[in-house]
Amino acid sequence: MQLESLTFEIKNTIALVGFGKYEKKSMTTLSADTLLELKHVVEQIAAKEKSKEVKGVLFFSHKPGVFLAGVDVSLINSLKTEADAARGAEQGQMIYNMIEDLKSATAAVVDGICLGGGLELSLSCKRIYVSDNPKTALGLPEVMLGVLPGFGGTYRLPKRIGLPNALDMILTGRQVKSKAAIKNGLATAMLPTERMMELAMDLILKPVPKKNEGFSKTLENVAMDNFLTRKIIFQKAREKVLSQSKGFYPAPLKILEVLEAGSSKGRDAYLAMEAQAFGELSQTTVSRNLQHIFFLTDNSKKLEGKEELPAIERGAVLGAGVMGGGIAWLFAQNNQAPIMKDINQAGLELGLKQASQNFSSALKKKRMSEDDFNRKMRSITPTTSFDGFMGVDLVVEAVVENMQVKKKIFSELEEMVKPDCLITTNTSSLSVTEMSQALKDSSRFAGLHFFNPVNKMPLVEIIAHPKASKKTLDTLYKWALDVKKTPVIVNDGPGFLVNRILAPYLNEAAYLLESGISIKDIDQAALNFGMPMGPCRLMDEVGLDVCEKVGKIMQEGLGSRALASGLSHKLTESGALGKKNAKGFYLYDEKGQSTGVNPVVESLLPSTSTTIDELQLQLRLFLPMINEAAYCLMDKIVTKASVVDIAMIYGIGFPPFKGGLLTYADSEGLERVTAIMQQFASEVSAERYTPAPLLMELMQKKSTFYSL
Amino acid sequence: MKPVYLVEGKRTPQVKSGADLAEVAAPYLAHYLIRHIVDKFGLPKDQIDEVIIGNTGTPAKYPNVGRVIALEAGLDKKTSGYTVHRNCASGMEALSQGFDKIVSGRSHMIFAGGAESMSQMPLLFNKQMTAFFIDLMKAKTPVQKLSIMSRFRPEFLKPIIAIEQGLTDPFCGRNMGQTAETLARELGISRLQQDEFANRSHHRATAATAEGRFASEILAITAGKKLDRVIKDDIGPRGNSTVEGLAKMKPYFEKVTGTVTVGNACPITDGGSVWLMCSEEAVKKYNLNPMARMVDYHFHGLEPERMGLGPVMATHGVLKRTGMRLDQMDLIELNEAFAAQVLGCEKVMRDKTLASRWGINEVIGEIDHEKLNVNGGAIALGHPVGSTGSRLVVTLAHELKRRKKQFGLATLCIGGGQGGAVVIENLQK
Repeated sequence: MQLESLTFEIKNTIALVGFGKYEKKSMTTLSADTLLELKHVVEQIAAKEKSKEVKGVLFFSHKPGVFLAGVDVSLINSLKTEADAARGAEQGQMIYNMIEDLKSATAAVVDGICLGGGLELSLSCKRIYVSDNPKTALGLPEVMLGVLPGFGGTYRLPKRIGLPNALDMILTGRQVKSKAAIKNGLATAMLPTERMMELAMDLILKPVPKKNEGFSKTLENVAMDNFLTRKIIFQKAREKVLSQSKGFYPAPLKILEVLEAGSSKGRDAYLAMEAQAFGELSQTTVSRNLQHIFFLTDNSKKLEGKEELPAIERGAVLGAGVMGGGIAWLFAQNNQAPIMKDINQAGLELGLKQASQNFSSALKKKRMSEDDFNRKMRSITPTTSFDGFMGVDLVVEAVVENMQVKKKIFSELEEMVKPDCLITTNTSSLSVTEMSQALKDSSRFAGLHFFNPVNKMPLVEIIAHPKASKKTLDTLYKWALDVKKTPVIVNDGPGFLVNRILAPYLNEAAYLLESGISIKDIDQAALNFGMPMGPCRLMDEVGLDVCEKVGKIMQEGLGSRALASGLSHKLTESGALGKKNAKGFYLYDEKGQSTGVNPVVESLLPSTSTTIDELQLQLRLFLPMINEAAYCLMDKIVTKASVVDIAMIYGIGFPPFKGGLLTYADSEGLERVTAIMQQFASEVSAERYTPAPLLMELMQKKSTFYSL
Repeated sequence: MKPVYLVEGKRTPQVKSGADLAEVAAPYLAHYLIRHIVDKFGLPKDQIDEVIIGNTGTPAKYPNVGRVIALEAGLDKKTSGYTVHRNCASGMEALSQGFDKIVSGRSHMIFAGGAESMSQMPLLFNKQMTAFFIDLMKAKTPVQKLSIMSRFRPEFLKPIIAIEQGLTDPFCGRNMGQTAETLARELGISRLQQDEFANRSHHRATAATAEGRFASEILAITAGKKLDRVIKDDIGPRGNSTVEGLAKMKPYFEKVTGTVTVGNACPITDGGSVWLMCSEEAVKKYNLNPMARMVDYHFHGLEPERMGLGPVMATHGVLKRTGMRLDQMDLIELNEAFAAQVLGCEKVMRDKTLASRWGINEVIGEIDHEKLNVNGGAIALGHPVGSTGSRLVVTLAHELKRRKKQFGLATLCIGGGQGGAVVIENLQK
């Protein structure tokens, strides 16, 4: 057999199996071919063991920083039935069993990323050597794709690191670094990266030095073997899974089921169960949707031809409010020592407070040292002058939402920065195109819209305007990826993409409230749909005054279908501004926790309460979003349905298991979508529910958003 | 001699120890000043030759704080950095070394200054405790260990306070306050004169702050436990100070007969200051507009117990070197370690007989109080020991620029019996 993805040689009775030598992509994954070659190689090793030609086996990677990133997701995606998928898992399991059954000393020599099928392969070896490379991370992320590790991972990991640790890794997909892997027993030894192979070849023929396990560890082991303890562990895990997944995700529960039922079974029986569970999960809609998002996200990270763009080394923020402080945090977190300018000390302190708060949880969880905290916080230069702006590569403006103020700032700023410094605005509602006219060179200008809170929301909208250069947009895109955000490039228009699609949802919630539906019913319907929070709660977060303002802008820009309900105006007048003053639809305590519905708001709503069916309620809320998304495509705010889906998932937390807003629409069927909309158009509001021309056109062609 | 340019000088606000900057470790009292200056002039980070930082209370964590500052400031790794110690004049020593390197043509761009967190000066274990630890570590068997442990006595825990030891002269055994008392006694400087001088320092400093005269030299610093506060003004000067109030304070060093009080001496303070020093080539290459030129410097020794008179010899020396006269100085910054010591310097400078005791057979000159410490001095602003030497030059240069005057003298006394002085020429008139 001609090896095309693996390398195989025997040196001094040690069999060396190398991955990634011929891989062109940045990440090596296990394809069908690789697995076939692996089987072939392992068979050869088994034969050579008998003739004493092989005494040790090392699996390693030729690619620095990547051991194996798991089984190729397109391979999983290509399995179209439960039986096919289960059979696929069984084939992998068989190869890994063969590795496990080798008589020789076997080890995975792990430098860099080792995930999914890569870690399962490592677990089939008697030893795992990890490098001291900070990039080295081991994990089983299958749960994030809605499946479970199907190559024996759920069988072997608990045996290696104990049930509680294994559950944590398998249920959350959490990755562990080398040090932690040594500590929890996953890895045998940590080796210096540069001399790793040399040392591994020496160590593999020697016995593993016995670890002196402490008394408490022995006690722990005794306790774990107990039937009752295991039962409690599973019970607790199940409760946690249910509270976190809210029952929307089947994989974690299935994982618990397999692990619990399998604990008394032998290898073959267990693995058969694992393979079957993998087959079932892989064909669920949830898993299909999660795989879909995986591909979309993966694609959005590709940078064809953008690698050569100038790197942003230093940033600056104008306006040190909550957003400004958040953006300063982002620069500081990514070692881009920002300058933060505001008009006075009080403003600067507000920004520093925000940045400090964003670091605080990492600090508390010891994921960041005091020294690092000091260094990163102090890398933010708070200032009231433009001194030092000559040194920055990117300025983000985040001052008050006032066109005249912003224009004035930009014409002033342009003189203070170097000619190739990118200038951006974090406006959420004003026209980027109009703003661009304040600059002499508007080609280096664009919108850069972050979502609040900056440290938690992954999305960044990059807003183009007619004069923005491609280089500017591409550089911003690359920068956003560098600082671990998910960027989308959109065209200018009221509310850009996310807020424009979000607005009708919030607006519709207000109309529903005015028609007598309760706050609780509306928010619960959205939660049951899978949203992270209901629309009323979200309006409190955004601020009711902001909602009112944005409502007006939408109405002016989009006409009668965006006619704003008068509710937010009424509420703002009553003094309810949302979470910022602890009074919105809900009341809030000092910690920002909701303490119940605000009675003042209730008194402003109709006293006669009506109830409608939850599904109807959900349709009332989400169909206007689909409709507005169709208008966005018509208006060329974006050109692809996939960008809408990415933006809505990463921007407002549209439920990932639904695959995104337009995947959801497509899967419901546009015929059904338009039919219900037309019904609402006659019963509720013709302006708000008449389907967009594009939606009708797609429906008539029996087509989908994704066919565009 | 090649000219040496002082391109830009900045300092932190100075804050009494144990207060708002207590949490700020020494490197962070200077690194941001350098970063700011590099940013401001858009300088390439790999073209700085050297970072020289004065520091006396060597933090255990940062034995060479100068190098740490260079790295924390974001300068290129290849920029070398070191720390200098000449007690109270460490910051001035840093400037003088920068001066020599540029004068000789070795270097073109140097950051020199000082940083001192007196809040974070260490407490040390005493000799007995150290010996106890060493014996304990050597012990092998549990019995040996136990026997050594039994030797422990509570007095082993009495710490050596580094700051207290540092302010006591090891040669003459007198602390700095006592040396000031000596001068007050020998030169006939009264308690009232000292208190009046101290009072003026406070009022000048508070007026300077109120009128924004420090705004161009101070760079706001991030502080607070959570690093969410911005300090932009000195904390220490008291606008409500009165001579009567100061008169009520008890002498600190000589309880019964003394005249030196906490009120007419400088407080212990945290702070940092930095200068960008450049050669003519660098000024041209990067199109810089320097604030000032460093004309020359001089250090001079005298008996440790009269260290407060150091500025007399240092000033005399620097004037000799430059061929200038005291009356050519438009402004003078003479560090206010103690009011008694400043007044003592004035007295010796204008009195040939007194001066001759130190081998100076001429009148150095009369110091005009309208030119001396016009924005207050260390009695109000404090004395972060490692930084003061360069801080004086920062304040001097900014005030010369503001007043559009030409020459300035910065001088200070140095614990251990020395004086240091620098003459600069304002270039932004």
